[in-house]
Amino acid sequence: MELPLVGQLVVNGLSMGMVYVLLASGFNLILSTPKILFIAYGEFYMLGAYILWGLTQELELPFFVALCLATLATGILGGITYRLIFQRIEGHFLAMIVAAIGLMMLMAQGTMLVFGTEARGMPSLFTGMIIVGGIRISVERAVLIIIALAVLVGLHLLLQRTNIGRAMRAVSFNADVAALQGVNSNRTYLLAMVVGCALAGFAGAIMTPVFAVSPGMGAITFIVLLVVMLGGIGSMLGAIVAGLVLGVTLSFGQYSVGGGVAQIIFFAVIAILIFFRPGGLLGKAREEVPL
Amino acid sequence: MEKLGKKYRFNQINIRSGKLIGLVVLGVILVLVPWLVRSPYHMHLLIMVGIYAVLAMTFIFLLRTGLISLAIAAFWGIGAYSSALLAMRLDLSFWLALPLSTIITGIIGFCIGYILVRNPGFAFIILTISFGMAIVHVFGTFDVFGGYVGITRIPAPDPIPLPFLAPIEFSRVSKTAYYYLMLFLVLIVVLALYAFYSAWTGRAWRAIGLSPRLAESLGVNLFRYRLVAFVIASAAAGLMGSFYAHYMQSLVPGAFDLFKTIYVHIYAILGGIGFAISGPVIGAFIMTIVPELLRVVKEFEPIFTGLFLILLVLFLPNGLLGLLSLRQRVERPSESIARVGRWIRAYLPTSRSEHENRK
Repeated sequence: MELPLVGQLVVNGLSMGMVYVLLASGFNLILSTPKILFIAYGEFYMLGAYILWGLTQELELPFFVALCLATLATGILGGITYRLIFQRIEGHFLAMIVAAIGLMMLMAQGTMLVFGTEARGMPSLFTGMIIVGGIRISVERAVLIIIALAVLVGLHLLLQRTNIGRAMRAVSFNADVAALQGVNSNRTYLLAMVVGCALAGFAGAIMTPVFAVSPGMGAITFIVLLVVMLGGIGSMLGAIVAGLVLGVTLSFGQYSVGGGVAQIIFFAVIAILIFFRPGGLLGKAREEVPL
Repeated sequence: MEKLGKKYRFNQINIRSGKLIGLVVLGVILVLVPWLVRSPYHMHLLIMVGIYAVLAMTFIFLLRTGLISLAIAAFWGIGAYSSALLAMRLDLSFWLALPLSTIITGIIGFCIGYILVRNPGFAFIILTISFGMAIVHVFGTFDVFGGYVGITRIPAPDPIPLPFLAPIEFSRVSKTAYYYLMLFLVLIVVLALYAFYSAWTGRAWRAIGLSPRLAESLGVNLFRYRLVAFVIASAAAGLMGSFYAHYMQSLVPGAFDLFKTIYVHIYAILGGIGFAISGPVIGAFIMTIVPELLRVVKEFEPIFTGLFLILLVLFLPNGLLGLLSLRQRVERPSESIARVGRWIRAYLPTSRSEHENRK
């Protein structure tokens, strides 16, 4: 492989990796705060993409307005699902997984029936290329990476500097002790769910100009699961490292060996890593979940 | 988690004579099914109910040691593929391929479990999901497994020669022989699970199911006992997989994907997680028969299933059998069997030894 191709694959991988990072951070938030293994997460990603597509193509709203609306809508939907379903079975670990699986099937097939199986594209927002040392980077992907970075910084500030973020971290550390300190854990769970789902919707929405929208997008959950596993459950820095690593490697993997084999290799690598480092790359080994 | 599993335990083998008679009656009914059900299609559904029930049993079995496995269909598929390859490449008879593929699945279960079982909880679930996804790609990518189009023309089991009678033929037309084989295999799995549960392993599993931390502090090696449970569950799934391969005579990788595992979970939860043997059977029976009766459109099926799953965990967390036992004093299906048995025995002439006992 000569240099420009390698550079191309790296940039493509990084832009996809940023999306994995966004998704993994949101997934981590839901996994560590309300303790839901939210398998339906990818469907929110897909929904965000569909909402953005509908708003920009059908209603002809400007991109950034549609982006905000899509993020808001998926966040609110996430809150509604939490109130309707997960709040009632809070603490029932298996029940929450099963309900999330049900939600995934419902949303995936529902979108398929409403929108059909064909992929829908939209014209790219930014045309043009930046050429750095023979590597052609499309402006679109560069913008995607920058926006995603900005949102990540925002999420970091939200988690570290605001009371809401402190409450989330406290509840994820120990819900009972946090409740004793006066943290309303139910509201915190709801907020974590809203923020998490909004992140998924946002990631889906910024991907829309680059990739076509299709009902199969929800399958990204399973890559996100690997990212979360690789980075360590509950670790945001881990999610960033793992997301970028996985994005770049998958980009090379799809180019050289094909998606199926890449996935097999990933399972093997992560299983071996987990064997030696139970907490993933940067996470701590967790106590086992009470069943 | 109290609602979904903790407070239940396997009932131990405790066959009183009433229960024995009840079981015999149940067995006779099951044996007579081929005379009652005429349509081969319905026989096919019943055979699939048996297979799915065993898979759901392994799910509950693992759940009680604190492992939520989403790779059940993967091990089922490993059993099916290994048996098919043994029979087709090495020309082994089905009767040799069946135990061999069970052992192979057990060994693979050991290798995978050795890595995964160390981290129960979220890590285990996530890794079993990705193992389940990866295995479909393994079947689909490598040429040995026939690619994504799958394997066809897997030989049927050899006929069993009988003295003085015609040999038992396994024909796909009348599925009677397959049905009896299915019953036999289900019986083997159920007896094996009972045996493990009444041995010292069962005591350790029960302790882990009640409280892992307490069990560990009392010297139960969590990892080792969970690994044993994982291997047994994989081997049981592999056994049914081998049977499935030679029954269907063709395999596609897509049949063993994550959705099959999800369906297995539905069978277990619908029947009731608290009922290790009867719950899966009833759940699998209802989930297989009812969609057939309703003739659901294929495209809408996942929607109904998803909605059904959500409603199930929200409103029926203990399953159908749990619903029955909520009403009054808990009567487990095994107790009902015993009751029927006692009732029948009341009409039988009392034997001498029992007469003496009564004095």
